Amino acid sequence: MTRVLVADDHPMIAAALDVLLRGTEYELVGRARSGADALAQVQRLRPDILLLDVNMPDGSGLDVLRQLRETRRAPATILLTAGMEDPQLVAANALEPDGIVLKTSDPAHLLECMQHVRKGERWVDPEVAERTRDAMDRAAAAPSLTPRERELIELVRQGLRNRDIASQLGVTEGTVKVYLHAIFDKVSVDNRTELAMRAKELLGG
Amino acid sequence: MKFSGPQSIFQYQSGRVIALGRVILSSLFLFSIWLDQSQPAQAAAQTYGLLLFYVLFALAVAALTWRNWWLDARLAAPAHVIDMAVFTAIVFSTNGYTSPFFLFFILPLLSATLRWGWRETMLTASALVLLYMTAGLLVAGSEAFELQRFIVRSGHLMILSAVLIWFGMHQQLGRLFLGLDEIDRRLGRDDPLVQALAVALEATRARSGALVLASTGGQEFAGIRTTGGRQRPVKVARPLTLEPIPVVLFDLPRDRTLSMRKDGWHRFAPASKLLETAELREIGADHGLVALVRSGTRSGWLVLWDVPELSGDFLELGTELGRAAGAVLDHDSLLSAMEEGAAARTRLSLARDVHDSVVQFLAGAAFRVEAIMRATKTSAEADSELRELKRLLIEEQAEIRAFVSALRHDRELELAEAVEELKSLASRLGRQWSVECHVRASNDDASIPIRMQLDLQQLMREAVANAVRHGGASRIDVGVGVDEDSLRLEVKDNGTGFLPANGASPVEPWSLKERVDRAHGSLSLFSEPGCTNLVITLPLAGAAA
Repeated sequence: MTRVLVADDHPMIAAALDVLLRGTEYELVGRARSGADALAQVQRLRPDILLLDVNMPDGSGLDVLRQLRETRRAPATILLTAGMEDPQLVAANALEPDGIVLKTSDPAHLLECMQHVRKGERWVDPEVAERTRDAMDRAAAAPSLTPRERELIELVRQGLRNRDIASQLGVTEGTVKVYLHAIFDKVSVDNRTELAMRAKELLGG
Repeated sequence: MKFSGPQSIFQYQSGRVIALGRVILSSLFLFSIWLDQSQPAQAAAQTYGLLLFYVLFALAVAALTWRNWWLDARLAAPAHVIDMAVFTAIVFSTNGYTSPFFLFFILPLLSATLRWGWRETMLTASALVLLYMTAGLLVAGSEAFELQRFIVRSGHLMILSAVLIWFGMHQQLGRLFLGLDEIDRRLGRDDPLVQALAVALEATRARSGALVLASTGGQEFAGIRTTGGRQRPVKVARPLTLEPIPVVLFDLPRDRTLSMRKDGWHRFAPASKLLETAELREIGADHGLVALVRSGTRSGWLVLWDVPELSGDFLELGTELGRAAGAVLDHDSLLSAMEEGAAARTRLSLARDVHDSVVQFLAGAAFRVEAIMRATKTSAEADSELRELKRLLIEEQAEIRAFVSALRHDRELELAEAVEELKSLASRLGRQWSVECHVRASNDDASIPIRMQLDLQQLMREAVANAVRHGGASRIDVGVGVDEDSLRLEVKDNGTGFLPANGASPVEPWSLKERVDRAHGSLSLFSEPGCTNLVITLPLAGAAA
């Protein structure tokens, strides 16, 4: 039997996975409800496969994956997600999980993925693979931002006004306006609200 | 600020008040001297001659300047000097205890207060007191001169001067606050350009006006123009004033302008030197005022013409209206930013809630269906039903993911993309209701706000469900297209329509109507047995709100 640990804070998903894996060659050995809980249970239960949700409280799935990559006896990890934004996809891909499955795809994909991972092969949901490729292409074609521009976008994302940004960066309010307009042109947005909404994508997560 | 009847003759018309005051005062004075046997005390013939000249002068000034703001401004200073000179002569010639010279002291002082500011009033008062003293001393030796009366009258003059200087200082502040209060009271959430222009038109009783602002990042100025109550957009290629002056009164046919210099004195210049006359003519303004409008983020001009009683007072009023228009624009920008921020927060919060609840629930349900299919032996029919259920769950999730994405990124998309989604929805609805359902699009290269796609999908779901449930339709054709500034959705079916065959009252598509009303759209329905045609139009502009 292959020992499986589920880390997902949604009871509906955890219960459904329990039912889905019942009577198969997989044994559900435990369930974690947060990132920190997942790390603790991995240490305690030593599962063969970790089914890991991306958006969880107290440490996201990507944080857990990052920490597991640094340990020697880490389980094979399958990211199970209901939907990731493009920057998250790129970041997840860089961490090289053993599998990525969308909760919104055909549930048969999960079992297929687990079969491959059990044999030591990598399996990524076709939709995720395609979106990751597109996101990476876009990131490569995207305008490069200077450290100062990235800093400014971060401050806009935090909802600071021009006056506050100016005092934080030690420049005049006029300079902040000039910088902002240059950024608007560079990343093709019309206003600071749009910039704040795209900040995550522009800054890469 | 609204005046009517005779009052309106003097609204913003200091020049008229002064000119009329001069006519009445000079006539009254001539009459009183003629009645009083003791006056004039000295040089009787010269005094009558002077007074007669002064009455004629007052009549001429009033007649010439009554409807001519430019001449009024031109003659203001010379007439003021003449008023003061006549005052001195009267003090000199009528030094008796019955001398009514006091009235002549008031006229120049009031003129300065009404026309200019407190500084000019103070200068005038000082000059008049000095002239009074000098003239008084010159006649001190005469028999009629009384020292005590002279001192008491000097005191009166100084107290009156102080009161009028104080009045001049506070009159300006009062006017400014009145203007801003008015703007604040009228401020609505309609187009701020329309609001600012409407307030300016009403305050000045102008029949035509325009408000143009610099477009973001461009060299052009765009805005609105109102003539005879009708509005239309207007564009201006170049700045309207060649110098940054707050207000300019202009008369293009006579090539004249009047503006205020920084030191407060009038400046007279040819219109062609100060204004972009071709642009003003293009707008339709040949005689009126241009006021600079500046807000925190934008700048431009307020132009008013067909002003029934234009006068020099409009230099001050125009400055206030320019500032008030800037305040309206600032206020609107602030409210818009707050609304955008609140809307964005609501959208993101809703997206998170839907993602965390509905999406997870549907995913869990699909996993369970898969588990049932794998774990239990079911009949071929039940297996087929379960497969269909799983497929519907997965498709529903895809739609909700698109909805969540739309909420997170409030962007525009090509209608063609939305139509592709609708075609796929049509094929699903066709299977679900066992009907033929087709979508066709016209003008699908237009863009629509992404959230409108959700409205379209929901409207189509409900329209198809209605057609099948209430009309028993077997074929439904959906048409989608963009007409100018609205999106049109047309649903035709071959059912019995909204008139039930049993003669019951017509079925109102109330849920559709509710949804359409929320999107500020309109719905019309044509229904007869065998053909029902539902047409829905949704405004593109209001969809992002």
